[in-house]
Amino acid sequence: MTKPVLRGLIIAAFFALTAFVLVPVFVPRPAFIPGFAPPPDMWPRTVSMIGIGLGLLALFLAFTRPTTAEERIETDGSSQLQMVLRFLGLVVVFGLFLGLLPHLGFLLATMLLTLTVVLLTGERQHRLWIVLLSFVAPVLLLLFFNYSLGTQFPKGVLTKPFGF
Amino acid sequence: MLNDILLALYAVATVQNLLIMIAGIWGGVIVGAIPGMTGTMAVTLALPFTFYMDPVPSILLLVALYKGSTYGGSVSAILIKTPGTASAACTALDGYPLAQQGKAGKALNMALYSSVTGDFISNLSLIFFAAPLAVLALRIGPPEFFMLMLFALTTVAGVSGNSLLLGLVSAALGLLLATVGEDMYGSFRFAFTPDMQAGLSIAPVLIGLFALPELIKLVVMRAAKKEEAATLGAQHVTREEFMGSLRSILKGSVIGSFLGAIPGIGPSSAAFFSYGEAQRSSKNGANFGKGELEGIAASESANNGACGATMIPLLALGVPGDVITGVMLGAFMIQGLTPGPLLFQTNIHEVYMLLIGMLVSSVLLFFAGKATMRMFAKVSYIPQTLLTPLVLLLCIFGIYSIASSTFDVAVLLVMGLVGFGMFLLNIPAAPFLIAFILGPMLEENLRRALAISRGDPAVLLSSPITWIFAVLIVFALSFTLRREIRKSKTERQVSQ
Repeated sequence: MTKPVLRGLIIAAFFALTAFVLVPVFVPRPAFIPGFAPPPDMWPRTVSMIGIGLGLLALFLAFTRPTTAEERIETDGSSQLQMVLRFLGLVVVFGLFLGLLPHLGFLLATMLLTLTVVLLTGERQHRLWIVLLSFVAPVLLLLFFNYSLGTQFPKGVLTKPFGF
Repeated sequence: MLNDILLALYAVATVQNLLIMIAGIWGGVIVGAIPGMTGTMAVTLALPFTFYMDPVPSILLLVALYKGSTYGGSVSAILIKTPGTASAACTALDGYPLAQQGKAGKALNMALYSSVTGDFISNLSLIFFAAPLAVLALRIGPPEFFMLMLFALTTVAGVSGNSLLLGLVSAALGLLLATVGEDMYGSFRFAFTPDMQAGLSIAPVLIGLFALPELIKLVVMRAAKKEEAATLGAQHVTREEFMGSLRSILKGSVIGSFLGAIPGIGPSSAAFFSYGEAQRSSKNGANFGKGELEGIAASESANNGACGATMIPLLALGVPGDVITGVMLGAFMIQGLTPGPLLFQTNIHEVYMLLIGMLVSSVLLFFAGKATMRMFAKVSYIPQTLLTPLVLLLCIFGIYSIASSTFDVAVLLVMGLVGFGMFLLNIPAAPFLIAFILGPMLEENLRRALAISRGDPAVLLSSPITWIFAVLIVFALSFTLRREIRKSKTERQVSQ
């Protein structure tokens, strides 16, 4: 399957899902609407239908028009599997960050997230800077936002006894 | 009148007032340049300090913060593709490609010159046209507002890159996402979790969509080249470049001044509007989005042009146009001044002082911008593998601090993944953002107009203002169609 075909399918399927599944379930129509006000689902339904039309048009053009060269994506030469694994790794890291945040607290969670992300970029050379960025920068930012804006960052269930 | 102006000039030109304005502008530029920190935040934070100040210096401090933060948003937009404020989103479209070409200094200088010009013209419009613009702004009801927003949405065609179709898909996604949360009649739409009942904030969506995909690309593809840091001194905007963009700067300033005077529109819409208009009318239109100085000029002159103009409905009518002027209204009241027509009769001396102070602050913005530019230029020396995680860190702290919400942080990360998905599918991100910002205003005003007219769609063409916008929409669409047909013909000829 070529990229334009896949793209058309994804677009049409997404908007179809929204129009026929999500809008009926997650956009409730009130029993009484005052005057001639259009109902709450009017706009999302209209946009979704336009989206379906655009997706189908993209699909049609993918079959009928000669494939034009799409902008090449630059990589470091890694295999597709490696790149998929890196992407999934990052998704897992983001998920873990959000999942662990209530337990570890904002400070520790951001420290671990930053360290992991730096390592995921392949950076190994500037070790001192990695440490400063991962462990010192979050502390400085926390102090800055706390003192200047009065932001109270959430403390973790596990780390609360230690004060953060 | 001249005597009043001279007296006001004398009263403003004190060391204390100048220092207050310098501090405000500089603070605003720094706040605006930090992703996730907004002008509203800066103005709100400074409000308690104004309790102990005289009326005019206190308002000048707030205005200086507002102007500074609006310009500051362009610094991070150009250097790290992370618009500090939503109004700088269009600046990132051309600013970042220029930075990648080693012309960050040129882009920053153009942003500064355009911002200062837009700001100055906007202040002049405040002085000379406050009353007529305020009256005109009041004539804009839901039908006019809807048509205006619809016209602004035609900007999508200009920022769609190689494919108008994919640009429209992106805009449809933005319009759909903008419907999340409580609607105008209290229904919750797509509220999958309780946090989603309040809708999605602009800041996490904007930053997630623009800044995070760069990080994800770096992690997944690891193809980022370390850009050589360029000396800013060698990258001044030449006279030819400035003169080439002057038309867009002036047009952007007028657009900003006009749209800023309409309550509820604000600098972001003005920037999109001006960018689209510049692209349509410029002979360099095809280069927009690839690193065109004129694109930066159009966007920055309009967003700063809107800043001064937002004071028009506030001063002339006592109507705050956005959140920031709402905070300023509070500051006026605290100081015992009541904005509105009576202000010009009872406190004319303070009004002149304020207007003169705003003109002076335009000049100060120039110097503060120059100084800050050198400071932020150091960013280009940091390797990408450290800079992008640092941006992530700043974004997370900044976004959390806006509303103390971990949900907003989750939105930021999810929008980063969405942005990366859009990049893989070659769907441009800018139309998404334009539609996301304009969407709620578009929908609300359409529904209001239909409710007022008892469901009659003819209300959308019921006044001269709506007709003017309708003609402009038809003009913009026919221009886009002509361009697409020409492009398609050229492509066919090339493939043959």
